[in-house]
Amino acid sequence: MARGDLRVLLRVLRVPALTLAALLALLAINVALGATLPFRNVWIVEAGVTACMVAIVLLVSMDILEETPLIRLFSSIGFFWLLIMFGMTLTDYAYR
Amino acid sequence: MAEPVGIVLAEHFSTVTQQRQAAKLGLWAWLITELLLFAGLFLCALIIRIQHPASVTLAATHLKFWIGAANTAVLICSSFTMSGAIVLSRIGWRAGMLRFMLATAGLGSLFLLLKGFEYYQDYVEHMVPFLSGPYVLAHDQASRLFVDVYFITTALHGVHLITGVSILLVLTWQASRPHFLARHQNRIEVYGLYWHFIDLIWMIVFPVLYVLNR
Repeated sequence: MARGDLRVLLRVLRVPALTLAALLALLAINVALGATLPFRNVWIVEAGVTACMVAIVLLVSMDILEETPLIRLFSSIGFFWLLIMFGMTLTDYAYR
Repeated sequence: MAEPVGIVLAEHFSTVTQQRQAAKLGLWAWLITELLLFAGLFLCALIIRIQHPASVTLAATHLKFWIGAANTAVLICSSFTMSGAIVLSRIGWRAGMLRFMLATAGLGSLFLLLKGFEYYQDYVEHMVPFLSGPYVLAHDQASRLFVDVYFITTALHGVHLITGVSILLVLTWQASRPHFLARHQNRIEVYGLYWHFIDLIWMIVFPVLYVLNR
């Protein structure tokens, strides 16, 4: 591979490589917490880490930040629907 | 190195940009229905956890935590290789793009192999309550609910992954032909959305089933 090609490759792969590093680091945190259970209610931190991983994939890997407003609206409507579904169902079960 | 990149304008679109956006919007509409499908299963797992916390913890400790963690890492790496294929398709680097696509299919297949081994271990340890053989947690009937949801969710995800790897291999074969990127670069972008979505679902499956209930 020529030096110029390598430079191009490194430039275009910079964002995917940073995303990979961030996701693996967050996974390592979740695995460490899950394996050791260091304190009570550790699930709150684990859920937060998972939410960060999902946000990274949606915003960076799936390019939502660079999409048109209509596609951004579509993707957010899906998660808004989930909020309603989880919110209403868990409100019922959690307060029985 | 670089080849021309573009898409052939279909007659019912005014511009190439409109065609690209319509394809992505269509895929997003479908992904939302898939999200709702999996979300129903996640909600089931949470409700079972709320109603039978001790049984769920007991069942979750029998899941193969480290295989699940390894599989999550494998899919995260496959997300990177798919992103690599997309960015190289944008600059017309076909040879590199094809290698990244094959690497993605390889990582997806590795995930399926590990999942198959995990199912085999579950079978050997009598953790498959819906089969006629003995069930190791038979004294705790509520645990069956969680284990059933575990199998339904992971099997459904596996079906999506098998479909994804199959489509990716066909797409790789198509993309190996000359002038593919000049005519159909959009297909790589749209397919990449599907692959990232499969990864995203597993990133939720792993904590919901394996981690949060320990």
